[in-house]
Amino acid sequence: MKFHKKIISASDNIALKLAILAKEKESARRKLVVTAKQLAVTAKEKESIRRKLAVTAKQLAVTAEEKESTRRKLVVTAQELKKSYGTLEKKVLRRTKDLEQIKSKNEAILTSIGDGLVVVDKEGKISYINKSFEEMLGWKTQEIVGKSMVEVVPREDLNGIEVSFKERILTQVLAGQKFVADLTNPFYYIRKDKSRFPASSIVAPVVLNKKIVGAVEVFRDITKEKEIDKAKTEFVSLASHQLRTPLSTVNWYSEMLLTGDVGEVTSEQKKYLEEIYNGNQRMVDLVNTLLDVSRIEMGTFMVEPKPTDIVKLARSVIDEQKLQIDEKKIKLSPSFEDNIPLVRADPKLLRMVIQNLLSNAVKYTPEIGKVGISISLDNEKNVILKLSDTGYGIPKNQQDKIFTKLFRADNVIGKDTEGTGLGLYIAKSIVEQAGGKLWFESIENKGTTFYATLPLGEVKKKRGAKAFSSR
Amino acid sequence: MVSKPKNNKTILVIEDERPLVRIIEAKLEKAGFDVITARTVDQGLSYLEDVGNIDVIWLDHYLPGEKTGLNFVAKLKSPGNKWAKIPIFIVSNTASDSNVRSYLRLGVSKYCVKAEHRLDEIASDIKSFLDGSKE
Repeated sequence: MKFHKKIISASDNIALKLAILAKEKESARRKLVVTAKQLAVTAKEKESIRRKLAVTAKQLAVTAEEKESTRRKLVVTAQELKKSYGTLEKKVLRRTKDLEQIKSKNEAILTSIGDGLVVVDKEGKISYINKSFEEMLGWKTQEIVGKSMVEVVPREDLNGIEVSFKERILTQVLAGQKFVADLTNPFYYIRKDKSRFPASSIVAPVVLNKKIVGAVEVFRDITKEKEIDKAKTEFVSLASHQLRTPLSTVNWYSEMLLTGDVGEVTSEQKKYLEEIYNGNQRMVDLVNTLLDVSRIEMGTFMVEPKPTDIVKLARSVIDEQKLQIDEKKIKLSPSFEDNIPLVRADPKLLRMVIQNLLSNAVKYTPEIGKVGISISLDNEKNVILKLSDTGYGIPKNQQDKIFTKLFRADNVIGKDTEGTGLGLYIAKSIVEQAGGKLWFESIENKGTTFYATLPLGEVKKKRGAKAFSSR
Repeated sequence: MVSKPKNNKTILVIEDERPLVRIIEAKLEKAGFDVITARTVDQGLSYLEDVGNIDVIWLDHYLPGEKTGLNFVAKLKSPGNKWAKIPIFIVSNTASDSNVRSYLRLGVSKYCVKAEHRLDEIASDIKSFLDGSKE
């Protein structure tokens, strides 16, 4: 029994144990199911994470690519920049070199200009002079830069009188006054050693942003020109004088023939002789005109002003030209104010002015035209001589040349062979010398009006060696 | 033709251009002058002395030799000169105006530019001057 019991108890134990094991197994299985479930969930999550990771990875890959591309682009840009910088630097260098070359070339040009050159600032202080300046005036750059041009380099007029600070063209240009270069008005420049030379100059303002910041003066030593001009004028004078002798011969011989002093001539012969006489007379007039021009240019014509009745003078000039006026059937209308006072002028010269203006008006007006001559007073007590015509007029593009010596307008050269191109030049010289003005208005094929003003004040007596030839 | 009256005025013409001398002489004779011509200042002076009775002188400025018409006039018009009263007409083409002034200052009667005057005018000028001074 005991054994049995023992067996029973043993089998019970086993059963127990089995039961326990079964239980444990069940529990384990349950656990496993749970775990499996959990695992399934985890797997799902894992999958989701994996997917997310995959997306991110993809995104990352894209970003990386972009980054790479950007990096590449940046590299390219950097390279380009470097290249451009290099080119730019080269260009700048080249340009700088060019500019330096241009600058030194310009400086070389300025320095080597044969004319004297001086640049001043707006105070008139010298900022640059060229080599010719140094040579002509005897000043060195370092001695003179920064000093006042007008003070350091004096100017004298042709009579040796110093030109005042105010009158200096440089001063006037810096003050904003418009100045037309007057090359016909030479002066003397005084060198450092006080010697002098005749010069002519042009002064122009340096304008920056519409403001005058300085001035440039270019001047020339005109010793040679003056000599040549003098020789030329003297030649004209001499030649003209010499020409008069044979002219006198022709004059007097034809005169004697014409007057019948050496026997009667037929009327046909007389006509021929008259042509000779008149042609010669024209030559005499031309020679006289040339002499007047040479006197004007030598500055040797003498002005002898005296109280002159300009109306009387005008009337006598009209009488003198009556033949030509009537020949062309020109209607002349004189109009002289009653109260014209005596003008202080050289009657001989004033007569020449009126003669020239009237004969021009008649000459350059077609037949049956009109010529007006008037003398009046203006408010400023100037006498105004006005000569108007209905003639050919002066072409607009030649109006600025009409007072130039020997100039004749295109539209009259073919029409009239007698003009010399000297009359208006002489007339203007005379009027201006007397302190007056001579100008005109003209429309081609309508007519021209010349105006001369003469001041009633004193006319300076000019000491010249010669008077205008009397006629 | 009426013969010339004996009391013709005598004119001394001092001029060197031969063609001019010829025509001046012809004209002045026509105008009733007795004409004596000279080519230089010295010749003129000697004719004054030799011929005598010169009533009027026609004088050019530039003449051959050193002396010009101005020297001639200066000599004639010097104080106490016996010929100082003879009127002188300068007829020239070439005298400068300063010379013209000197002539007038020295007391010449008239200055005229040849090329600008008819012979007629000059001859009658001289005649009327002489007539005027006679009255």
